[in-house]
Amino acid sequence: MKSWRRFWRNRIEFYPAFSIFIWYAVGSVLSSLRVQNRPGIVTLGLITIPVVVVFIIAVRRAWRELPAGS
Amino acid sequence: MEHEMKFPPPAIPGYDNKFVLWVSVILIIVVLYSTYLHHFRPQILRVPSNTDVSTWTNPKFEETCVYDRMSDAERAKVRAEGVPGNTLGDILFLDISSILVALLCFFHARKHYGKWMAFCFLIGSFVFTGLQESMWILYGRFTGTSAMVGLGEQVYGTYWFTKGGLWFFETPVSMCLGWFYVAYGCVWMASKALPKSGLVKRAVLGGLLAMTVDLWMDPVATSPELMSWVWATGDIIRIFGIPQTNFLGWFLLIFVFAILWETLPLWEKRLGRAKATGYFFIVVIAADLAVLAFQYPWCRALRGILVAMGFQHGLQIPPGW
Repeated sequence: MKSWRRFWRNRIEFYPAFSIFIWYAVGSVLSSLRVQNRPGIVTLGLITIPVVVVFIIAVRRAWRELPAGS
Repeated sequence: MEHEMKFPPPAIPGYDNKFVLWVSVILIIVVLYSTYLHHFRPQILRVPSNTDVSTWTNPKFEETCVYDRMSDAERAKVRAEGVPGNTLGDILFLDISSILVALLCFFHARKHYGKWMAFCFLIGSFVFTGLQESMWILYGRFTGTSAMVGLGEQVYGTYWFTKGGLWFFETPVSMCLGWFYVAYGCVWMASKALPKSGLVKRAVLGGLLAMTVDLWMDPVATSPELMSWVWATGDIIRIFGIPQTNFLGWFLLIFVFAILWETLPLWEKRLGRAKATGYFFIVVIAADLAVLAFQYPWCRALRGILVAMGFQHGLQIPPGW
């Protein structure tokens, strides 16, 4: 609960991550579910796993860099 | 970003407010006029019809990448019903959601870099990508050629976007804003992942991240079910049905723009804010033309390599896409 409050108070720090999440998760993942007759288009997303790794590193670092006591 | 830019420039309220006002006014006029031309005078810029694909030229429907990816039933459906998912609701959703997400990134940029730098990123990236895309689109549409050089097949133009409410020349505003927040988000991720690296390394990582995200997004958005944009056939290498020039463009544009924007505070120190702003926009437009020009030798060199390796047709990776 405390973490959630801390995140919410500093939410602006995560806006760039949110924008990439929207583009990636909604734009690519959800849209690819609409492509019914192209088996493999979801598998294509595996190529983009390095982006997920860098995304997680970036968000973790942003979290750690939040001002103490915020 | 912050680690390189140790001294985000202080605000100069008089200049910053005037800059924001005038640039916004000019941009709004261009967007309103482009939108009017696109929707109400489509014959002037030869906007392809979304309802009757048989009228398409440069390229014709049969000369597009999406045609190659379609089954006979899908081709018949598009011929009968036009481009799918082109409703007012779809267009409004696309425009409004991209404005909202772009605003979030703008708030983050304003907090960390100040109003002037944040606005330079927003407007600079908007104009950078909007002009680049529009030049490609109109060049292909009016000449029937492109930087792409065919190998075993003819080139009939470049590409175009089918969906958008508001337009900046021939690029939907949602795409320009999408480019802004993807560029900003990827440069932010790169700066967090490589905090101690120099500007060029971070710009390379930012460009690669954006290109990789696009590697999934593009084949989905150009699929027969969505057809959000349409590519002409003819590039020597197609990756998941998308010409390689697209991915090269994504990498180069974000790489170059990240470097230009992060150099802005240095220009301001040397030239003053007003001159640095003018210089930034002139360099942005010059870089746009340079990226465009670079595609010509690049495509010819790539074609030369494939010919030397004995290929008689363009490569499709994976085959059948």
